[in-house]
Amino acid sequence: MECREARQKIQDLIDGRLPPGGAAEMRDHLRACGPCAAEEAELARVGELLRLWSAVRVGEKEAQLSAMWTRVRAGIEERKEPWYAPVLHRWFLLPAAAALAVFALLFYPFDGTRAPFHPKSFDVTVESLESDTATVALVDKGEGLPRVIWIIENGKT
Amino acid sequence: MSGNEQANVPDENLVRASLAGDEGAFRDLMERYKRRAFGVALGIVGDADEAQDVVQDAFVKAYYKLRDFRFGSNFYTWFYRLLVNRAIDRWRKTSRTPTVSFDDAWVSGETSESEAMVYPKTPEELAGNRELAEGISRAIAALPEYHRTVILLREVEGLAYEEIARILDCSVGTVMSRLHYARAKLKGALKGFRGR
Repeated sequence: MECREARQKIQDLIDGRLPPGGAAEMRDHLRACGPCAAEEAELARVGELLRLWSAVRVGEKEAQLSAMWTRVRAGIEERKEPWYAPVLHRWFLLPAAAALAVFALLFYPFDGTRAPFHPKSFDVTVESLESDTATVALVDKGEGLPRVIWIIENGKT
Repeated sequence: MSGNEQANVPDENLVRASLAGDEGAFRDLMERYKRRAFGVALGIVGDADEAQDVVQDAFVKAYYKLRDFRFGSNFYTWFYRLLVNRAIDRWRKTSRTPTVSFDDAWVSGETSESEAMVYPKTPEELAGNRELAEGISRAIAALPEYHRTVILLREVEGLAYEEIARILDCSVGTVMSRLHYARAKLKGALKGFRGR
């Protein structure tokens, strides 16, 4: 095995991801190659130091960790729904939902016709006529003959 | 149930009992994983107090999301996903920037060969070497958060690449490249040490 190939496989060897044959081949190379063996040792040492570091840091907080359940339980209680939540759901949300439904029906009646004040009840076109005074006519071009529904002259309706 | 008997109860049984309303079962789950969770959280956020907050939040969230757990999968993989996400979110909010760059993280030109620190073999030896312990903390904190998470889950928790990929919702290839980068960076930061 060449060093270039061995260097690429050192991580796999450390993490146990080489097949038995590949791992044996790597170990043979490391036995024979000082630089590659040093590289493998240094990378393996990183893991060893991290594990030691974690053990030390966790050990420093053992007293606080022994009280973790108290904290977790407090957090669970804090997030629980209050006793009145089911009552709130029944006596507020249901009426609110009913009100929304009524409001929707005002715009969309069951018979499919438009409610008189639905915006789409008017197919409105804005037309302007040039004259000495500014005039704006709002014309409903819905079903039937067009009809003027509003005239604005000089800013007065 | 004695401590030894509790240790033999599979995670899934404790999850089922928790879902059935047995708060003691959820406590057993929490006790089983709190130290490991704290170690991972600490490595990500860098501060012990914040790590405890993260662990607490993660367990509380796990309690309320337990019904989403899929039986047949690993509880710790599912829980670690909650934990890691909260830890990374917390770290981002605190916006910690490393005070020491990797280029001058550890090795100083003033340190002679004979004064180089000794590589510890036990937690007690490392605990007695404050400078080294803090140096490792700085080196970990200098890594990008996902690289830090990957190397902690691999080296400290011993999780497989596939498990890490599931926790971080990334590919195994991404796990491998982040791990490679993190190891190289930490190796460089800690190269001032010689073993006995």
